[in-house]
Amino acid sequence: MNTREKFSAILLILGLILALLPLSANRILTMKPKKLLTEVLDEKTYLTVDQVARFIISEDNSVQLIDLRSPDEFSSFNIPGSINVPYYEFLDNDQDRVLNNGKTMNIFYSNGDFDSNYALVIARGLNYKKTYAMKGGLNEWFNTVMNSRFTGDRITARENSLFETRTRAKNLFTEINSLPDSLKLKFIESKRVAAKKLDGGCE
Amino acid sequence: MDLINKYKVIIAIVLPILILILFRTCGANNFKSDAKKWAEPSFSKSNIVSGEQIRTMSGEKLIVNLGNEVSGIIGKATEEVYISPDSVLSKKYLNKIKDHEGPVLLFSPDLALSARIWMIISQMGCKNIYILTYNSDNEVFKNEFRPDTNAGPEF
Repeated sequence: MNTREKFSAILLILGLILALLPLSANRILTMKPKKLLTEVLDEKTYLTVDQVARFIISEDNSVQLIDLRSPDEFSSFNIPGSINVPYYEFLDNDQDRVLNNGKTMNIFYSNGDFDSNYALVIARGLNYKKTYAMKGGLNEWFNTVMNSRFTGDRITARENSLFETRTRAKNLFTEINSLPDSLKLKFIESKRVAAKKLDGGCE
Repeated sequence: MDLINKYKVIIAIVLPILILILFRTCGANNFKSDAKKWAEPSFSKSNIVSGEQIRTMSGEKLIVNLGNEVSGIIGKATEEVYISPDSVLSKKYLNKIKDHEGPVLLFSPDLALSARIWMIISQMGCKNIYILTYNSDNEVFKNEFRPDTNAGPEF
């Protein structure tokens, strides 16, 4: 057998092996299980509603909120600036596109804790490092931010700052979600254009 | 033997690659292919059970308690083990979970933790794993949002 025949035989055998492997279209978590477990047990993968509130009032473009609820729930109300990827469709979508190729900080949320944390594990298992879950979901958002009230006579500087953040986030949430759908889109677009003007570049 | 000698170069290249691929694909302690298939029970929420529902489950139940809080589930055909979350993938505990014939119920007062552990264990090919909770409506929105038609942001 000459060199060319040997080389052809090797390629043919490798091709057969690859053909018999499970389809690559089915996503598989690429991170090792123990490493993934260590990552998801890290407290830093959780974000509190107060941390998310700070992001939305600062209109930080490096942060992307991902609402995992159904489209109907999303259209009723959502945290301003969110995109909607229903949890049951998360693995059907192109994760690179949804998670911005890992360039943005992606924060999952749902009504509670289940869906956002399932999605978090899947995303981290696919090696998207900058993914987080909002602890408590929208139920916690409403309990803490939307129903935030100041009681008592005195307030520390820290409490004042927290209350102010919550109030601003609550007002923004209410304003945006009270708009008719057509105006919601216009508002979001105007914010996007304003952010681009600050950053520079063409529209 | 002559055949092996004749094709020794091909065998020397292909065999290690084949072994590595088989190890990677079929390894018992790796994630399975088709992540969506193993996540399926979480889409329909059929992986979440309450204390009441446990009574209707057949087979001997294994409660994996991930915290210090008592699960409150007692009864026949129920075994409870306390496992620290960072040890759940140790050989001893993973084999216990995999080899258990009845339902395995993950319990923690922190539902986010239970959800994360459930997803990891399920993706490793373990079936019959459930999250035990007394708050099975965790994903139901429990508040009310009232739009304010007078409010209007600046454009």
